[in-house]
Amino acid sequence: MRETLSAKPRLGALYASAAPRALRRVREVSPDRLPRREAFVEGVRCRPEQLVAYQRLMGDTVRDELPSVLMHGLGFPLALWLLSRPDFPLPLLGLVHLRNEVRHLRPVRPDEVLSVSASAEELRAHHAGTTVTVRTRLFVGEEPVWEGLSLYLAKGVRLAGIEVPPAPRREPLVPPATTARWRLDASTGRRFAAVLGDYNPIHLSALSAKALGLKAPIAHGMYLAGRALAQCAPHGRGYAWEIEFATPVFLPGTVEVNRSSGPGGVVRFSGWNQRSLKPHFAGAVSRL
Amino acid sequence: MADQYLNFATSGFGKTLTKQLGLPAPVTLRRYREGAALVPGAILVVGTSALAAEVGELLLAWGQEVRTHDAGNATLGAIVAVLDEVRAPGDLSAPALTMAPALRKLAPGGRVVTISRPASDDDAPALAAARQGVTGLLRSLAHELRGGATGNGIELADGIGLDAPSAQGALRFLLSGRSAYVDGQFIRVDGAGGALPADADRPLAGKVAVVTGAARGIGAAITRVLHRDGATVVAVDVPAAGDALAKVANEVGGTALQLDVTARDAGTKIIEHATGRHGALDIVIHNAGITRDKLLVNMDAAKWDSVMAVNLESQLRMNEAFLAAGLPGLRLVSLASTSGIAGNRGQTNYGASKAGVIGMVGASARAFGALGGGINAVAPGFIETEMTAKIPFGTRAAGRLILPSLQQGGLPLDVAEAISFLASDAAGGINGRTLRVCGQSLIGA
Amino acid sequence: MASSPSPRRAVIIGGNRLPFARANGAYVGASNQDMLTAALDGLVARFGLQGERLGAVAAGAVLKHSRDFNLSRESVLGTALDPSTPAYDVQMACATGLEAIGSLADKIKLGQIESGIGGGVDTISDAPIALSDGARAGMLALGRARSLKDRMAAVASLRPRDLAPSAPGTNEPRTGLSMGEHQALTTQRWGITREAQDELAAASHRNLAAAYDRGFFDDLLTPYRGLSKDNNLRADSTVDKLAKLKPAFGKHLGDEASMTAGNSTPLTDGASAVLLGSEAFAAEHSLPVLADFVDYELGAVDFVSGEEGLLMAPAYAVPRLLARNGLSLQDFDFYEIHEAFAGTVLSTLKAWEDPEFCSERLGLDAPLGSIDRSKLNVAGSSLAAGHPFAATGGRIVATLAKLLHEKGSGRGLISVCAAGGQGVVAILEAR
Repeated sequence: MRETLSAKPRLGALYASAAPRALRRVREVSPDRLPRREAFVEGVRCRPEQLVAYQRLMGDTVRDELPSVLMHGLGFPLALWLLSRPDFPLPLLGLVHLRNEVRHLRPVRPDEVLSVSASAEELRAHHAGTTVTVRTRLFVGEEPVWEGLSLYLAKGVRLAGIEVPPAPRREPLVPPATTARWRLDASTGRRFAAVLGDYNPIHLSALSAKALGLKAPIAHGMYLAGRALAQCAPHGRGYAWEIEFATPVFLPGTVEVNRSSGPGGVVRFSGWNQRSLKPHFAGAVSRL
Repeated sequence: MADQYLNFATSGFGKTLTKQLGLPAPVTLRRYREGAALVPGAILVVGTSALAAEVGELLLAWGQEVRTHDAGNATLGAIVAVLDEVRAPGDLSAPALTMAPALRKLAPGGRVVTISRPASDDDAPALAAARQGVTGLLRSLAHELRGGATGNGIELADGIGLDAPSAQGALRFLLSGRSAYVDGQFIRVDGAGGALPADADRPLAGKVAVVTGAARGIGAAITRVLHRDGATVVAVDVPAAGDALAKVANEVGGTALQLDVTARDAGTKIIEHATGRHGALDIVIHNAGITRDKLLVNMDAAKWDSVMAVNLESQLRMNEAFLAAGLPGLRLVSLASTSGIAGNRGQTNYGASKAGVIGMVGASARAFGALGGGINAVAPGFIETEMTAKIPFGTRAAGRLILPSLQQGGLPLDVAEAISFLASDAAGGINGRTLRVCGQSLIGA
Repeated sequence: MASSPSPRRAVIIGGNRLPFARANGAYVGASNQDMLTAALDGLVARFGLQGERLGAVAAGAVLKHSRDFNLSRESVLGTALDPSTPAYDVQMACATGLEAIGSLADKIKLGQIESGIGGGVDTISDAPIALSDGARAGMLALGRARSLKDRMAAVASLRPRDLAPSAPGTNEPRTGLSMGEHQALTTQRWGITREAQDELAAASHRNLAAAYDRGFFDDLLTPYRGLSKDNNLRADSTVDKLAKLKPAFGKHLGDEASMTAGNSTPLTDGASAVLLGSEAFAAEHSLPVLADFVDYELGAVDFVSGEEGLLMAPAYAVPRLLARNGLSLQDFDFYEIHEAFAGTVLSTLKAWEDPEFCSERLGLDAPLGSIDRSKLNVAGSSLAAGHPFAATGGRIVATLAKLLHEKGSGRGLISVCAAGGQGVVAILEAR
């Protein structure tokens, strides 16, 4: 079922509407409870000042090419609209971002008008709960220009009738060489939110994060991905990238980063905490 | 550097107060300015000898208003007493009494210059008495002059006439504002060598001069005056004074050479720099000097040895290099001091070094003279510099105000003027001598 | 092209620098322009260039106020040089000074100019403090605002946190790592020991002190603000004393951390200037000729990807320079390798000895080989003298030119690494 929205939903309103249900405890969902729904919206544009603000925030060069993570941000309200429907089985607040896989099919100019489609595709059992995959696609006219899968985890929610898979054994981290270091100040979450409108309270302040059970605000996963891509992504061509998130980056904080090139033009990147030796994220960029 | 007392005493209110308190009344000295008159009025030539007539003609040729016998109503800029023919003490009476009424007409900054022959042990006693008598007459008269006027003498060795460039050079120097702080002194002309400058305002044109200790104080003033007088100057000082040295060198369009004069090869380095960069070495001013004052009872080796090394031994060593290089016509001027003549409490080391300079200059004259050049010394009295600022206040005030006839300390410029004159070709007939620039300080008589 | 002979030579006549001062010490309050002017004026005084119209003055600073956009020209106007002497600013991080000098040498060789002064200056003590990006954006918007409403909006956009000033960092913008942290990676990659680094540092102090003692710097340096020697110099420095220092960089390496404040250069203030000319210019002005500026080469490496160490660019530039001039690494009497860190020098030397590096990275059939270490930085280098970024090139060129002139024959190789993964290397020949 395609549901076409007249305008891009506003994230703040979506979070607000989801708040009352945040208190609702969901312990179990049925695998077939996922509504078959595709959300669609046309006329999505990136404001020029938003593009500049994003590129500045990521330490990237200001240029007329939409960064892949910014495009994810343009589609994200629609995805969130999906996740905040009353019939969506998992609680929106508290969803943990686990991974992204993106195919950035061609360079997109900032003046191109985009259509966005989003659908929630699959519930799967996870050792810590249940995951949902959200597929987002961006089009220029009929031409797909960006396709992404985002994997979110609802902690502590069991998938009815499915055995809980065992937790993978995590090898102690042997950190690679630090090739970069990110010093993230306490306002990192607020600044990212100001650019992309993603005012999820877990990113904003110590107080709002504590209200949701976190010891400190954490960096947006997409902020970390954006920083990595600003360094690793090619320009003027299409590419694929992926990122997997392991442990959150608390703010303020310092992330050690390694970047290394592999065969076939694959660039791998990873970030970790040098003191606790906990991995934060790892990913790769490859040419299409 | 500024003489606060002088500024105060010459101001309107200060002048009145100074008078009432019976304090000395110093005046601003008449100093050289390019284009200014040689003297501030007519010149009275006293004397009846042939030389006196020549002097009158020379002064006329210099464009001066000349009077003989009687000043008349004219304001006098100078009195030149030509006493070369005194044979016996009685011969001094007439010229002395001729000068007497003229003194009242002497303008502020005026000059009294005697021209005489030096007494010698070979002279007949009466002749020697008369000749030596001139010095007492002149020096006492200098003490009586006021208003920044000075009295100095020229002693022409037997056989030296007014045609000797240095006789004319010395006369012009003593009459001009260049000799403002030279008072009660005699300049001895022994030779007929030397040459008068084509342009009296550029007596050092085309010369390459080296000034040691040029970064500040008297050395900086010497550098500026030599440059003003037409020389290209190599400014030398220790590396640690290099920043001030660079400023001085840039001000005068010269070159800075950072060099410790006590270094073994200092003389060679100076020759290399001057000849390599400027094509010649014509003038060396041994100005670099230090004080390490202590009563002898408290003196240590470091203080004694460093003063001797810088003030005297370095000059001896450099002079050997200059002689060895055989630089033709090289003229040198060393900085002595009245402390080297009269001595000064707390300055046994400094006094020894500066007296040593006077001895060295005398004994080096023949060697440099043989190369067509010469070496002389200038002995400054109380000069307002950073170095003298270290002298305790009481001693300083007395040195500055009470002792000299001119009732004030000199300026570095005053020392520089005397040095520039002695370094010039016009002083070619003056060699091995020490000229005091002390405002006729009683220190050293 | 390659076979056309250089039309004429560019010669080094002499140099001048201020003593280098540890940051926030002797030169507090002195600006880049003040110090560059003083360095130029000292050079002018040394060579009697007052009122002289030179072909060009090229200099720069790494940490620069926006008001210093015309730093070199403004400095020239404050000197005794003819005000009709043109000047331009150069910026190539720590290689600024050498690039400025090299570019002038090229102009001289081409016959475009007869004379020039190249140099640089840097002060940490008077470093520019900028408005934060937020404050800047708000202020610029306020300036553009035409209506009251726009102005109010611009003012309203300012946040209290925007008012916190941001000081310039020495961190690499693309990696967020300090130069020391980058070097720590390279030092570890090449297995440079703590002892070897401390030995190099001690030698630097020993050599610089000996050079001062023999009056080597008497005509290379003009005192400034009461300082007549580099005040980072520790004449009594020894390996034993250096061994007691705690690691300052690469602390995450634990026991392997080897870089200390003793074997890394401190932040320093200072300025330097070098006078170059054609042979005709030197002869006409009766100026000495210390050395020929033979050739120079720029290099850069991809450090952002982690493929190469930040300060390894000279390792790549030198073989290209050698090949172009038909020389081997052993054909030199002096090596002046800028001691950003002891580890930089030692990593570079080790890379040139390494067959794998020389073959895979440099594409050479055989390694460049080792150098006679007794010819390395014989009058001290940055570990002892300090390193006011843009001023280091001028220090090295003047020092090497004088060393070569004293020896009377031979060649010297200069290597200067720089932020941004860059480097400049040069060859001088004695005159």
